[in-house]
Amino acid sequence: MKTSWMKRQQYLGYLFIGPNMVGVMLFFIVPALYSFYLMFTDYKFMSSDTKFVGLANIQKMLGDEVFYISIKNTLFFLLSVPVSIGLAFIVAVVLNRSVYLKKLLRALYFMPYITSGVAVAFVWMLLFHPNNGPINGILKSFGITNPPGWLSTMDSSMYAIDIIWIWFMLGYNMIIYLAALQEVSTELLEAAKIDGARAWQTVRSILWPLVSPTTFLLLITGLIMTIKQFGIIQAITQGGPGNSTTVLSLFIYQNAFRYYEMGYASAISWALFFIIMIFTVIQWIGQKRWVHY
Amino acid sequence: MTKALYTKIIITLIMLFFSVVMIVPFLWMISTSFKMPAEVFQYPIKWIPAQFIWEHHVKVWTGVNSFGHYYLNSLKVALVSTVGAVLLSALAAYGFARIEFKGRNAMFMIYLSMMMVPPQVLFVPKFIMFDWVGIYNTHWALILPGVFTIFGVFMMRQFFLSVPYEISEAAFIDGAGHFRIFSRIILPMAKPSLATLAIIDFSWHWNDYENALVFLIDQDLYTVPLGLQNFILENTVDYNGMMAAATAGIIPMILVFLIGQKYIIQGVASSAVKG
Repeated sequence: MKTSWMKRQQYLGYLFIGPNMVGVMLFFIVPALYSFYLMFTDYKFMSSDTKFVGLANIQKMLGDEVFYISIKNTLFFLLSVPVSIGLAFIVAVVLNRSVYLKKLLRALYFMPYITSGVAVAFVWMLLFHPNNGPINGILKSFGITNPPGWLSTMDSSMYAIDIIWIWFMLGYNMIIYLAALQEVSTELLEAAKIDGARAWQTVRSILWPLVSPTTFLLLITGLIMTIKQFGIIQAITQGGPGNSTTVLSLFIYQNAFRYYEMGYASAISWALFFIIMIFTVIQWIGQKRWVHY
Repeated sequence: MTKALYTKIIITLIMLFFSVVMIVPFLWMISTSFKMPAEVFQYPIKWIPAQFIWEHHVKVWTGVNSFGHYYLNSLKVALVSTVGAVLLSALAAYGFARIEFKGRNAMFMIYLSMMMVPPQVLFVPKFIMFDWVGIYNTHWALILPGVFTIFGVFMMRQFFLSVPYEISEAAFIDGAGHFRIFSRIILPMAKPSLATLAIIDFSWHWNDYENALVFLIDQDLYTVPLGLQNFILENTVDYNGMMAAATAGIIPMILVFLIGQKYIIQGVASSAVKG
């Protein structure tokens, strides 16, 4: 029934999508193809002779010590995703049922996500100030005489980045969980209550399993969002001290725009694409399995 | 009954405490921007300064590199990009959701696959291309790509799919074409979704540091995030000034959030749950 009129004025389809398609062509498809070509060249900005070098960039990447450091840092950065999701789940469950001021609380927890860019990263930079920063001030007042140097020492800098990122993502994850929890039937929860289930039992054996598709979705999208992120890190540490906060996406940026090794940067950026593609494929498979949970 | 009431009050207080912890960075920022230099790292933290000092804010908003200038740059980039993005996304989404034509699914697959391509892949070729056509180091380098958002197309498509098809059918019988149906019926119905997309898109452009970092060099063209970074590099020990600058960068987003909270939260929630 619906197809009979949907097929009329077919040519208009191209007119509606056309303008957007032109942009997607110019700013996504063409650059992506160009980047794929650059991966096999030794293109450097401002240098006139660009040679085809085959797989040399990939070989260089696999032999580059900093590449492995960046992978390690990226993995540590990605750990913030499940932590943030876990915290968000707890907050969402509590906000969903047993509090006053629900709307106010929801807004406050969500605020970092919408308001922060690099501006707030600079605030964190001072909060984490190693000598006199408020965070170490609090730690010292709790009797910790030797608090971490946070962003200023190599062994603690990634922890600081993770904390900032967990803080940032928490509100987003919470909003998605709240939406998912609204769809859990109240009868089910009433029934559990009548059967004498304790609060944490309800959470563990009813809510957590029921929102598992949401958890899965948040995990994958969170991993993808996090692995692409480099702005905050570039702004406050530029990857330092040492290379202790150089994550993969920052490593790409720095090779391209600090050292102007653009062919090499292109090669590494396709490694990043490859990882994102794996996450996406896992998401497709998982979503199919979880259409009806 | 009273026990349940007490529990609820206690839980509310606990949640309130942690929510304050969440916004402490903002509170500390604003408080510090009004303090004297010696008070910045005083412990225990003095939330209300003994004396409100306005000079840090004055420093941020006046002089050669005033934030007023960065604001105008950011507003220009963010507003033009957002208007264009909302319009073009709505058009394309209508095409994907409500017209059947040859090649539609193939085109949609291309859009889907482009979502996987991270910005890092695109920075270098865009940099070379923009340099070549002469828009590198101009605001066009941010505005032109900013007008095209794949996310926006997906979001609006999701909404258009949910509008009953009988509405279009009836309009068709009355002799309306797609453009009339789009502009007179579907678009007015989509106002909340359009508002959501506009707010989210605006906040992205306002906060966008990475593209500005790659495509702008002239300080004259700096948007707020770059201006802020610049201020911090030039005033490495002026912590009060830094926080006044950060406040200047964040206040517009806090306002946008307070005004558009309903749309933002609904939009974020619906975009992810439907996948």
